Parts: sequence; C-alpha cells; structure tokens
Amino acid sequence: MNSVEFIWSVLPVLLKGMVMTVQLAVLAIIFGTMIGLVIALMKIDQRPWLNRIGGLYTWFFRGIPLLVQLIFLYYGLPAVGIVLTPYSAAVLGLSLCGGAYIAEIIRAGIQSIEKGQMEAALSLGMTYGQAMRRVIVPQTYRRLLPPMGNEFITLLKDVALVSVITMVDLLRSAQLLNQTYFRPFELYATVAILYLILTSIFTVAVGYLEKKLTLPE
Amino acid sequence: MISVSQVSKSFGQLKVLDDVSLDVQTGEVVVIIGPSGSGKSTLLRCLNCLEQVDKGAISINGQTIKPGSNQVKSRDICQLRQGIGMVFQRFNLFPHMTALENVIEGPITVKKIPKQEAVDKGMQLLEKVGVADKADSYPGQLSGGQQQRVAIARSLAMEPKIMLFDEPTSALDPELVGEVLAVMKNLAKEGMTMVVVTHEMGFAKEVADRVLFMDEGRILEDSKPGKIFSNPSQPRTREFLKKLL
Repeated sequence: MNSVEFIWSVLPVLLKGMVMTVQLAVLAIIFGTMIGLVIALMKIDQRPWLNRIGGLYTWFFRGIPLLVQLIFLYYGLPAVGIVLTPYSAAVLGLSLCGGAYIAEIIRAGIQSIEKGQMEAALSLGMTYGQAMRRVIVPQTYRRLLPPMGNEFITLLKDVALVSVITMVDLLRSAQLLNQTYFRPFELYATVAILYLILTSIFTVAVGYLEKKLTLPE
Repeated sequence: MISVSQVSKSFGQLKVLDDVSLDVQTGEVVVIIGPSGSGKSTLLRCLNCLEQVDKGAISINGQTIKPGSNQVKSRDICQLRQGIGMVFQRFNLFPHMTALENVIEGPITVKKIPKQEAVDKGMQLLEKVGVADKADSYPGQLSGGQQQRVAIARSLAMEPKIMLFDEPTSALDPELVGEVLAVMKNLAKEGMTMVVVTHEMGFAKEVADRVLFMDEGRILEDSKPGKIFSNPSQPRTREFLKKLL
C-alpha cells in the first residue's frame, strides 16, 4: 500500500476523531463563554467581594496548566470519590480553563465601551442590569470576535491534550492507528493537515461574521 | 420642581461644587454659564444621580437625593431618572440601534410599553425634531446635528417632566448648532422645565427665564438674561462675558 492509499484507508477513523475534537471545542467555547460572561460581570461589578471572586477564578484556572487540570480531574478526583467519565472530565476541564481566558476577553470588551453609553442608558431610567443587557453587551459583540476567534482556535488545539485522559480525539486516533500500522509520518502529517483545515475554516468564518456585524457608517 | 440646597461635592482634593443652592419652578428655563471646570456639568449630573452629592440635599420631582448611596435605593434612582431627560454633549446614542430603535428603547425596556405603541409615539417624536426620514438610519450615518436631535427625541420618549442639557451643541460643527437650538426653543415654548448648560449666549438671551453664572463651584450670579448680559453685578461675570463676545 502506498502512502496515499494508506491515508485514504484510515481517513474514516481519523475523521471520527476529528469530529470528537470539534465537538469538544464547540462545547468548551459554549460553556466557557457562559462562565466567562459571569466572571467578567463579577470583575467589573461595584461590589468588591464579587471582584475578588472573579479575580480568584482567573488566577486559579489560568495559573495551572490545562494538562495538569485534566489529569487532576480524571485521575486525581476519583481518590476522593468523584469519578468523572473521560468525556465529562474533558468538557469540564476545557470549559473551566477556557472560561478564565474568555472572562478577560469579555471584561476588556465591556470596558472598551465608552462611559457615556452606560450614562445614557441609566438616564433613561434603566437598571444597571438592563443597561448591560440591552446597551453595553450587544456593542461588544463585534469587538469580541477577533480575540474570541483566537481563543476558539487555541481551545481547538488544546483539545489534543485530552488524549492523555483516554479520550479518542483526532491526535489519539492517529496514535492508536500508529500502534497497529506503524506509519507515523503519514499519520501525523495527516493530523497536522486536518488541524490546519479546521483552523482555516474557522478563521474564514470569523472574518465573515466580522464583516456582517460591522455597523453601517 | 427642583430644589437644590447647600450641595457640595469634591473629586478628591478638588471641590467642584461649593455650597450650591438653587430653585427651579415648573416651566422655567434656566441656563447655566461659566468657564470650564466651574462645576456646571457636575451640578447637572447631580440632578439625575449620575454623580453623588457629598453634602446637602436635592429635591426633584418630589423625590429627595441625599449623600450616601444606601439612602437612595437603586430602584428609586431609576424611578427618579425616568422623570428627567438628559441630553449629552457627545449625544451618546446607542450605535447598534437605528434612530427609531434608540427612541423606543426606553419606553419598551423601562416602561414596558407595547412595541407598536412605542413605534407610533417614536415616529411622532422623530417628526417633531425633524428627523423622521432618518428613522431607519444608524447613528454612524447621521450628522452631529441629526444625532443630537434623535438624542433629544430619545429623552422625550420617556415623557420627562424636566429636561437637562449638558452642552448640547458644543460638539457640533457651527452650521449644525442652529437646528438643535431650534428644537430646544420649541420645547421651551411648550412649557418644558429645562436646565441647560451651554456657551450659546444667543440662546440664553432669547429663551432663558434665568441665567446662572458659575465659577469655582459656586453660583455667583442668578438673574434675568436681560440683566446679566447688559449689567452683570459681579466683576467675574463681566470678565467672563467680555472674553466670550
């Protein structure tokens, strides 16, 4: 079997791993964004105790390597009676860690909105919450796209780390195939190319969204 | 309608309002003039709680504002602000909404008015300020004068009893000032209670019932426009007006 034939024959297995990688990345970005929004709002709140909780969160989850967090969640927690499936440990670890970075992105986005916008909203009689929801946060969407796109690509690549907790993602499926066929060059080159295709699709999509969300002038 | 008594406020070491007292009657148009940094804008911003007073009390629309955030519950502040329109120097229109959406945002979100009703009312208001043809334009597509008129309509949509104007024409090109002042003159004619911080002396002369001159956080002079412009009682006022003309 020449290289092309070999890759063609194992491609369905690799694509299955790729689907898992994309699935984990999408879940992580969804949950990570929810966590990030809550933490960001805590950090800019007027109540200092909320600022501190928000600060503690980023300090903790940004300060520990994701690899260590994943290993702890999957191999460490069972020792105290908390047993997670590899899938839930992967989603949890990626979301918690992604959330810490996304919180910083959202916080910076909100703080970049001119102060007068909040004042105008409050002057209409809106509560702080209404002003955030209707006026401030919607204005951050377009500004958040480029850094969020970056974060998504980072997360997508970080998913490869879940191979250490027995999740069969794109990288792990290649490793398993390699144990059977021992053709590392073809397998890992294909993995690299598949990653590039994924990130390229995503870059184009973000660019398109960015154009679409630009306000007319 | 508005009663400010012995209000003081500092930003750190800097005293921006120093024992200020002021009464405004229903339907009165009060214009505040004075050099920059004299506390005019701060006084205006204290009236709708965008700034907190350190000392003294403000009674406005039957509600009282005192120092300390805990004494005025946040819901009371929202209630208070609904009755007071505020127009800013830099318009502060919501850039992600069309002109009409800007105008109906307050009624829909704050007053929970049905959308169709808010739209009808909003179109009337845009008509009134002369920008009905721009209802579907975004703020970025409008001139400064048009933006400020939409901003006035946005405030009016909440049916305020009082309108505050914080240098509404200072950010405009000279040829656009007139269209905004015309809208404000109409409002005054309709009997709206207005407090206006401005450098437009022509507007003050023509429309104001009273003109206040502020300097270094104090109201130095409070008189009819005829008197303050022809024969100011304070040398400081005379000096300021001479520089302007």
